[in-house]
Amino acid sequence: MNRRALLAGLAAAGGALAAGLYRFTDLFVKHYPPTAHDDLLEQLGDRDQAARLGAAVDNAPDAKALAARLRTSLQGDLATAVQADVAAGRLTEVKGWLLPQTVVLLSALAAKS
Amino acid sequence: MSAFVDARTLAAGTVLTPDIAIVGGGPAGISLALALAATKLDILLLESGSMNLDPAVQDMYAGSQSGDDYASLDAGRLRTLGGGTNHWGGWCRPLDASDFEKRDWVPHSGWPFPRTALDPYYPRAQALVEAGPWIYDQGDRLASAKAPMLALGNGGLYTSWFQFSKMRGDVLPTRFGVRYEADIKAAANIKPLLNANVTAIRLTPDARSVDRLDVATLTGLRFTVKPRHVVLAAGGMENARLLLASNDVMKAGVGNQNDLVGRFFGDNPIPRDVATLVVFSGKRGPYYGNNLNMGNGAIMRAVFAPTAAFARSRHVMGSLTTMEHPVELDETGKAAVITAAIALGVDASNARAFSVGCGMELMPDPDRRLTLTGEKDALGLPRLKLHMRVTDDDFARYRLTLAELGRQLLASGAGLLRLNCSRREEWLKNMDWGHHHLGTVRMHSDPKQGVVDGDGKVHGLANLHVAGSAVFPTYGASNPTLNLLALTLRLADHLKRIAA
Repeated sequence: MNRRALLAGLAAAGGALAAGLYRFTDLFVKHYPPTAHDDLLEQLGDRDQAARLGAAVDNAPDAKALAARLRTSLQGDLATAVQADVAAGRLTEVKGWLLPQTVVLLSALAAKS
Repeated sequence: MSAFVDARTLAAGTVLTPDIAIVGGGPAGISLALALAATKLDILLLESGSMNLDPAVQDMYAGSQSGDDYASLDAGRLRTLGGGTNHWGGWCRPLDASDFEKRDWVPHSGWPFPRTALDPYYPRAQALVEAGPWIYDQGDRLASAKAPMLALGNGGLYTSWFQFSKMRGDVLPTRFGVRYEADIKAAANIKPLLNANVTAIRLTPDARSVDRLDVATLTGLRFTVKPRHVVLAAGGMENARLLLASNDVMKAGVGNQNDLVGRFFGDNPIPRDVATLVVFSGKRGPYYGNNLNMGNGAIMRAVFAPTAAFARSRHVMGSLTTMEHPVELDETGKAAVITAAIALGVDASNARAFSVGCGMELMPDPDRRLTLTGEKDALGLPRLKLHMRVTDDDFARYRLTLAELGRQLLASGAGLLRLNCSRREEWLKNMDWGHHHLGTVRMHSDPKQGVVDGDGKVHGLANLHVAGSAVFPTYGASNPTLNLLALTLRLADHLKRIAA
């Protein structure tokens, strides 16, 4: 085995290791069990924090109802939906925190998923 | 040159006959006297106290109360030369033009004149409180040069500015007794009388004018003042007390033919920690949390105020919201900040949170009132009782303003707000008061709606005027001193015209 082949092999192994760590561990990215609402939840940058916030939402509907509502209201990207909420005054209080409605619904969904 | 005269040294039965008797040597009384200096009018300035606070004199302020908790009646007042300026904080801000307007969602609102009527007097009032140049409208520009301002998105609140009174060469606010003692002494036509307590306003039998004032000292000496004109400048509580207690001719009290004297008592509630404001960047200009020297001799501080358009559309009252000390967030708060910031696409890794306070304007309320009790003070004057009331509606309206502030912070991506108070007990938990005694001798062109007219003259009486914040028909959220001084200087011009 020449030196070039050795280096190529090591690189391949390293790449495979990194890919494995990325895919199968939480070292680089937090992984969550698959849910029926991942298309929505993937818009949350930090699902754990969102779930913590969502757990404080009073009288939240169940996950299925939340997801249905979000699929209707959240047509584009989250940032656009949030700005639309703010402009329209669609804010919801969570333990006093004034938050865009879409953020609250997504957080409640994260807590229930 | 007139030295201060101790009334206790007068001969019993003395009758003094000045052109104008000013009752009260607080900021209004002193400013009025000085504004009338160098005229041909003989001015008698009657001050109950002296240069130093005497507990026996101060005790005449004591009273009782019912209703919502409020500071004791002798706590927010000082019965000594300079009055309340001996312990004020020096906060100055002109009332807004909208404060003078009839607001259809505010019963009993509307001053007899617009803000423009006071505009010519504000510069002199500003000089009296020594708050530096008039640059309330330049705060944004001056602040931006020091540190970036907190971005508020378009909406119902804007950044407004206080300026602060300061004694020359010192950081203390101007104490009118100390500061203007020499000016009073230097005025040949002002006779300042200390330890002189007015105990009754005696009317002519036809109840059309003041005939004389009964005056007494705590040493038992009694004498009489027979002025051509009287100006009550004894403060928002004591003016009402003197009018109500002087009931020998007008049985309900002087000027109280329509049962208005003592009603509509107002103050600015200062509930603390009403909200938590998170700044995503963590950077806050020093002028938000502190009184900052902006140069030009002006000390300023930023606050958030509702626009007139927002007040009209949402039916809120005046308020001035302040950022206070840093606070720590709980886990839910941290989660709210992180989640909201990610959704907004902003970095909140250095976010900091601050407690929020405010000064509120109350809705005028005729049942928030001062009445006389059967208990008497050392000179036989009935003591006051205050029935205090702050309604849930007062808090609810201010909460709308806070919510708009929160919305604007999100809109600009600058931060996030938590509303800390929902229930009444939460608002009252950290409640402080401005000790701004307002409205008890309210001003209105219609005698059925006001005790004094737009010139401060008591309706129906030819020669009795009232100065000070007692005449404010609505209160505004701005601290009253600067504004009552402007009003007093306007009254001085009126008196020059009618008394000359």
